[in-house]
Amino acid sequence: MLLSPVVGIAILLCLKEEQRFLIRAVALVAAGISFALSIYTFAGYDKELGGIQFVEKYDWVQAFGISYFVGVEGMNAPLLLLTGIVIFTGVLTMWELQHRVKEYFIFQLALVTGVFGVFMSYDLFFFFLFYEIAVVPMYVLILVWGSTRRIYAAMKLTLYLMAGSGLIIPGILLLYSSSGLFTFDMLKLHGVPFSPWIQNIAFVLLFLGFGVLAAVWPFHTWSPVGHVAAPTAVSMLHAGVLMKLGSFAILRVAMYLCPLGFQYWAQFMALLAAIGIVYGVFVGLAQTDLKYVIGYSSVSHMGIVSLGLATGTVDGLNGAVFQMFAHGVMTALFFSAVGFIYDRTHTREIHELGGFSRIMPVASAFFITAALCGAGVPGMASFWAELLVLVAAVKVFPLRGLLAIAALVVGALFALRVVQTTFYNEPNPKFAHFEDVSPFLGLPRMILIGFLVFFGIFPQYMLGLIKTSIVPFIQGL
Amino acid sequence: MSVLQFGVELYYLVMALVLFFLTLRREPKAAADHRLAFTLSALGLVVALLCLTQQGELFFRSYRVDLFSQIFKLALALGLFLVLAISRSLPSIAERNHAEFYLFLTTCTIGMMMLVSSVELLTIYVSLELSSYSLYILVPLRRGDDIDVEAGIKYLFFGAVSSCFMLFGLSYIFGATHSTYLTDILARMPELVASPIGVVGLILAMAGFFFKLSIFPFHFWAPDVYQGGAHQVVTFIATASKAAAVALLIRLAVLGAQYGYHFTQILVFLSIISMTLGNLVAIIQKDFKRMLAYSSIAHAGYVLIGVLTLQETGLASSIYYALAYLVMNFTVFMVLTQVAQDGRDLKIAELAGLYHRSPLLSMSLILGIFALAGVPPSIGFTGKLFLFTSAMNQGYFWLVLIGAVNGTLSLYFYLRVVYAAYFVEAKLPPIQLSPPMRALNYALCATILYFGVAPNSIMELARAAVRAVL
Repeated sequence: MLLSPVVGIAILLCLKEEQRFLIRAVALVAAGISFALSIYTFAGYDKELGGIQFVEKYDWVQAFGISYFVGVEGMNAPLLLLTGIVIFTGVLTMWELQHRVKEYFIFQLALVTGVFGVFMSYDLFFFFLFYEIAVVPMYVLILVWGSTRRIYAAMKLTLYLMAGSGLIIPGILLLYSSSGLFTFDMLKLHGVPFSPWIQNIAFVLLFLGFGVLAAVWPFHTWSPVGHVAAPTAVSMLHAGVLMKLGSFAILRVAMYLCPLGFQYWAQFMALLAAIGIVYGVFVGLAQTDLKYVIGYSSVSHMGIVSLGLATGTVDGLNGAVFQMFAHGVMTALFFSAVGFIYDRTHTREIHELGGFSRIMPVASAFFITAALCGAGVPGMASFWAELLVLVAAVKVFPLRGLLAIAALVVGALFALRVVQTTFYNEPNPKFAHFEDVSPFLGLPRMILIGFLVFFGIFPQYMLGLIKTSIVPFIQGL
Repeated sequence: MSVLQFGVELYYLVMALVLFFLTLRREPKAAADHRLAFTLSALGLVVALLCLTQQGELFFRSYRVDLFSQIFKLALALGLFLVLAISRSLPSIAERNHAEFYLFLTTCTIGMMMLVSSVELLTIYVSLELSSYSLYILVPLRRGDDIDVEAGIKYLFFGAVSSCFMLFGLSYIFGATHSTYLTDILARMPELVASPIGVVGLILAMAGFFFKLSIFPFHFWAPDVYQGGAHQVVTFIATASKAAAVALLIRLAVLGAQYGYHFTQILVFLSIISMTLGNLVAIIQKDFKRMLAYSSIAHAGYVLIGVLTLQETGLASSIYYALAYLVMNFTVFMVLTQVAQDGRDLKIAELAGLYHRSPLLSMSLILGIFALAGVPPSIGFTGKLFLFTSAMNQGYFWLVLIGAVNGTLSLYFYLRVVYAAYFVEAKLPPIQLSPPMRALNYALCATILYFGVAPNSIMELARAAVRAVL
């Protein structure tokens, strides 16, 4: 899974810019293989057995006890699947790209290599290495192929995320050195009873550092700007997958290694998450650019993930991981629909687009499906995820949980209003001549919708899998 | 005493002699001279590689050949080879001085090779001066306006002053321990723990290398010399001479291991100031070489993090980082010399459109810059993480935190270079690269990536080398 994008990059490096079709084909095959492998690990994971499966482990640097250690368990399998889905549909979405095609796919595949690596790694050093690999190509991707205010957005995003890394390094190294084991192996570090004050310091460093990427309020400001500036597939990857890296890392590193630190800071985490949810909803309402609307809704949806994590209960964590998956697919669909509309009309202003569903019924349908999913309509994957998180949250943090629910209800209401003004008003005659989505370009969107609905109707496939690792995880806390 | 153990130095001595005869010619033959010098330096690289596993002591125990010294000799040979590889056209140096340029680079290399093998205070001092004097001549070789003269004078004065500090420090050490041999001094250091004379002497003795490495407060020469010197000379100063300085810093710092807290606290202080100052001032630079000068000050601070841990993995990380820095910094300078082929100073903004002018160069640039900025999967990232890890193992939490924050700061100005090269359009003719140059580009890129992903071999080598010193 990790290897196929790397091989893809190597082949792409050898191709010439002129061979556009070949470049796309190679990128698609590389992405397709990862996609297939991610489905394989998701389906092939033995739920009865539990634990970490598909393990690969090699010594890497003996001097520091670093080893290459990857594996799959219930917690990361859904996220690997998510990454597979998004990269595959992302490559398909960018099929029409004309400008510096080769480099684009190289950077995109590099990014995906990093993402896969983070989800799979059980070695802190590699975890961080892949984390950085996933973050840095964003700068180039936004700068070259981006749109609105891209220079500002790219620099802001990179500096924010790197500042996060600046907190993560000391956090990781603090745990490494105070363990006295000279190993970066997370499973071994998990067994070390760190003293409470070390856990408190390390947890807050890691939480804030990774929280930047998870768009935890108040460190979210890079994210809407970045989403808006990025090209379609990058927005998909970025909002769909990259932000999940942050919350996954909080779960996997911060909570896993510092359980006492987590208990100490849980209230604080929940508070930031609740603020994020409310804030994201209300700021999102005021936006007129469709991408900003989605960008802020991501902030609030990621708030739900953080809230789920903060509860520290089986349901909360289950819901949080499920929400990561559901939100990832949903946002990818959102951005892919908006990207399609923008490529044709060159506008994302809600008022200009008015009545768009009469011009492009299929493209609009994609967007509306995503919006329904975002509003948490039953039958969609995110319904179950949000339900689980909110139920757990109300139990643990009643006030903040209720606040979040209220905000989401208001948010749903207004999301429908956005849909109404964008797609069901009087159509703008300027755009009347555009053709609708062709079946080929519709394919990636259909895949995304398929997954949303499938897991909306059969959530137990996902939840059963996640549970196999969450239950031991909670016992470990 | 076996002559062969002195083999690398002897080889370069012969090479210097040959080049000396070239300088005597009345009619300069620049192309032929370059070919000869380049071939000789390539041979030298082979000789250094062959001598890698030698061991022994020479000249009344004042000169030790061990893995530690041989690794650095190899690095120096590599540095000279690389610098000569980009010296095919030397537009900023008058044609009749080309032979001198090769000669003094070679003598400087000899000086530094002797430096890394010296284990006796006077030998260290003499070797250091041999390498410094060559550089004092090389810096003002650049023709054109007076900026080179300013750079030359600055370099000379700062060099002389730091030499004074160093001599003063050495006299303290000698006075307190009655020996100039590092092994004897090391044995007597514990007796001095009670009195501050040892730590003062040691810090002052290290001043000479702080100067070479441009660590605060001996960094003032760097921006002017970088800007004023010819590109190739600066490249040599910025790569090979830094590596040699790290070697000696390690040899001397080990002496202070007994002092513990006070000694390392001074180094921590210097390291923090260097990193922060270098990175902050680099942000506002417009000239590419000046920016690199400030970034070198910051990198000196990073290297010091490893040195001040005074323990095996930390010192090994320093060696790893010094070697990595040699490669990545050279990559950036190589791009610089290729873009500014007429030898002019380059503003960062003048890199505009490099992507269209030469995709290969811009790839090397982006890799070199990302490595300097510590972005994975490059040697710079891996090296920096090793440094931080070993420092954290010794409990320097704040130092690591500040170092990591510094990494973020530095990213800003490094990204500006990438931005200029990749995204600003410019109507300039494409840059033609000769086949060997292309090969060099690919080799550098591969090195940066490969040893970033698979650092174990270098790290184990560095550890073995450090064991020889400790």
